[in-house]
Amino acid sequence: MHSAGRTVRRLGWGLAACMFGLAARAEEPAIPPDDGMKLLVGGDVSGTLAPEDRGFFNDVDYQRNALRLFRASLLAELRGGSHVALLGELRSENLDAPRAYALYLRVRPLPRRAFDVQIGRIPPVFGAFARRRYGQDNPLIGTPLGYQYLTTVRPDAVPGNADEMLAQRGGGWLTRYSVGSAANDAGLPVVESMRWDTGIEVRVGKTPIEWSVAVTQGSLGNPRLSDDNDGKQISTRLAWHFVPGLKVGGSFARGQYLDDAVRRLLNPPAPFRQQAFGLDVEYSWARFVVRGEAIVSDWQIPAIDGPLAVAAVFLEGRYRAAPGLQVAARVDRLDFGRITGSGGSQTWDAPLMRIEAALGYALRRQVQLKAAYQHNWRDGGFVHSQGLVAGQILVWF
Amino acid sequence: MVLSLCASLSLLLVAAQAAQGEARSLASIRGVVEVRLDLPPKAPRPSVNEIGAPARHDVPDRRRSVVYFETAPQGAFEDHERPRAALDQKNESFVPYVLPVISGTTVDFPNRDRTFHNVFSLSKAQPFDLGRYAAGRFKSVRFDHAGVVRVFCDIHSHMNAFILVFAHRFFAATDASGTFRIDNVPPGTYNLAVWTDGRVRAVRAVRVGDEGGIVTQDFVVE
Repeated sequence: MHSAGRTVRRLGWGLAACMFGLAARAEEPAIPPDDGMKLLVGGDVSGTLAPEDRGFFNDVDYQRNALRLFRASLLAELRGGSHVALLGELRSENLDAPRAYALYLRVRPLPRRAFDVQIGRIPPVFGAFARRRYGQDNPLIGTPLGYQYLTTVRPDAVPGNADEMLAQRGGGWLTRYSVGSAANDAGLPVVESMRWDTGIEVRVGKTPIEWSVAVTQGSLGNPRLSDDNDGKQISTRLAWHFVPGLKVGGSFARGQYLDDAVRRLLNPPAPFRQQAFGLDVEYSWARFVVRGEAIVSDWQIPAIDGPLAVAAVFLEGRYRAAPGLQVAARVDRLDFGRITGSGGSQTWDAPLMRIEAALGYALRRQVQLKAAYQHNWRDGGFVHSQGLVAGQILVWF
Repeated sequence: MVLSLCASLSLLLVAAQAAQGEARSLASIRGVVEVRLDLPPKAPRPSVNEIGAPARHDVPDRRRSVVYFETAPQGAFEDHERPRAALDQKNESFVPYVLPVISGTTVDFPNRDRTFHNVFSLSKAQPFDLGRYAAGRFKSVRFDHAGVVRVFCDIHSHMNAFILVFAHRFFAATDASGTFRIDNVPPGTYNLAVWTDGRVRAVRAVRVGDEGGIVTQDFVVE
């Protein structure tokens, strides 16, 4: 035990030394710091319309669908000089009462060094898409499957055996299990991009190497405001800007996802965690931007041998065809590992594939119209294939 | 007000002094534009979705103004000079904030930053999109139509600048102290306009006598 403790301490000191070294190298341009108090305000309003999504391919939770959504966001940043800022986002969806989706304090102890600490409800460290989910950063209308599609894993209920799990294949938008909460409810996405987790994160460096680490309350698929299982998530991302235009990031996250209320029903009441590795790449040149991400994740789950593995991959491209006019396309795949039930071996949820193509036109710089066609194929559930035409208007300031 | 400037640029009136100006001395008009307006740096969008503070950037000088003739001498539109000008991208800012050019000018957009930029404009006078390009490279656009061209970067939303395209050569940008000078002005009476931060702020009639020399006209913008 002493040896393990020493190893962890050495690792901790090693990480701290690396971060310090990166921070020392990460000098910002010699621009006079802005020492005054300043309030920055911005916002997004978007309306997205599509026909009924009968297969619930774009559901983001029990009541909302990403292609049938009115969203209004108010962003604010109160800067207190070069060292401290308070940032927040107030958001209303489908005219519901506004809620704070982000609220955190950003501290930069050394104004000319790219070393920042953020505390509160913070942007996710893992991957790249979740930080560009805002309408103007997403050249399409839909969200990648790995960041949106609801699997059949729930944080508040678990199946009693593999057959019970397999019976829910393709029905992540509304699942029910025999252990834990008896309510019908939505499952978890691999990475939740619509809500942010609560905790503390540190970023060092900016170019060419950027490293971020976060300790938060929830898990990748289930970010939380308060802890529900006495387990923290640690997530990290290392990004390398090889040359201007090419950025590669590698991410890791591990955290407990199962609610204490369910864990107490299990024997023994062991912790159950979600773990994920991610790789993201962005390459841009002239009028092209190409982005891709791959996520390999698994959830530990009681009563089933082995973790529930899942792999999400997408590749998207954007081309600015003319001033104000852009075309974009995304190919997206979500695959699941196999488990064995009484009827044999099967993937624990129904694999999916999605393609989406979109045309965007900027009426003005801050007013954009998008039209998209999205087709989904699923190897399970009661709707196996569905094409959707969607339109979106987006205004930002 | 932007529209009014477009109108004044495109509907330039020809002064009546005709060809006799050739026999007379040319003058210079100079002066100082004192901007008393409160023009704080334009605030960027809140960086809520970023891990860590965004990189610091230069703050454009919004007090730089352009002084120009609303009415120009006959023959002023017959210049066939096709000059070049440059609008730099440096420390995530366009330099200068306002660039006046004569129609037919080719403007270079050199990237002097460490990151990519994507310069574009949706202005009716000259829409363009240069795509992304790296430090040390430049792309160019020729501006053939008079008007106001607002320039942005698609990657850095706080970056913006103006290019004012004139159909004649009688214009000048102010320097850091607000001083301007327009040379080789034939005798006549002209309306001299001041444009500051997106609007025409003042117009004065200026008379240039047959004797040439220097005519002084100062402005206070408030």
